[in-house]
Amino acid sequence: MLKKGDRIIIISVLALVITSSALLFFEKNGGKTVTVKENNEIIYKGSLYENKVIELEGNTVEIKGGAVTVTQADCKNQICVNHRAITKKSESIVCLPNKVIAEIE
Amino acid sequence: MTKKVALYGILTSLALIFGYIESLFSLSFIAPGIKLGLANSVALLLLCFKDFKGAVLVNITRILLSALLFSSPFSLAFSLTAGILSVVMMGLLSGIKGVSPIGFGIAGAAVHNLVQLTVASLIFGRAVWYYLPFLLASALIGGGIIGAVSLIFFKRIKL
Repeated sequence: MLKKGDRIIIISVLALVITSSALLFFEKNGGKTVTVKENNEIIYKGSLYENKVIELEGNTVEIKGGAVTVTQADCKNQICVNHRAITKKSESIVCLPNKVIAEIE
Repeated sequence: MTKKVALYGILTSLALIFGYIESLFSLSFIAPGIKLGLANSVALLLLCFKDFKGAVLVNITRILLSALLFSSPFSLAFSLTAGILSVVMMGLLSGIKGVSPIGFGIAGAAVHNLVQLTVASLIFGRAVWYYLPFLLASALIGGGIIGAVSLIFFKRIKL
């Protein structure tokens, strides 16, 4: 039932499946890292794709599904909590009162 | 002409029903948007009969009607672009001798999923590309099955 053209199509789609999964695997592992600093000291460093909740003295930083958010802060202004989730390289969320910074590298 | 209008009408409603049946059992737990592609089998059947114009017409009408009946204008942006490009891709490949409905069914499904992902990445950001391998693999399976079904029908019926 399969003709020659069909085989070419099947093989090329299969090749696409394999290369795209390889690329994604590569990006997942060699990809972005999240650094959380408090008072300029590195508290946490890990992959953006590894879900994690980091409890700091005055803040809670959550890494979930490739995005970083600050879910809780004990300060008045709550700027970092209201900040949108960051997902891209060199983006950061800063909490000035607690001297906390979460950034993607 | 009259016969064609009636035929396209029947085929469009068949495609609509297929699309509706498909929406009843969701395969989205694998990756969002994954489906068998039953509705596309009608266009594939028309392409087996070398009726490219009919396939395009039936597919576009089916997409517009199902958006009107079952979903939102927002999802129309997804389905219409993908629907048109995939039917054009299938039409081009169906003109080649060494390609059977299985081949152009797979290619059409792959193009459909690629276009939908591109549109989705414009709206939701590039993280959606994570689904690419799953969607392409599903195109291979779904497109192949639907292509084979259309081929079986083509051998047994007259339009």
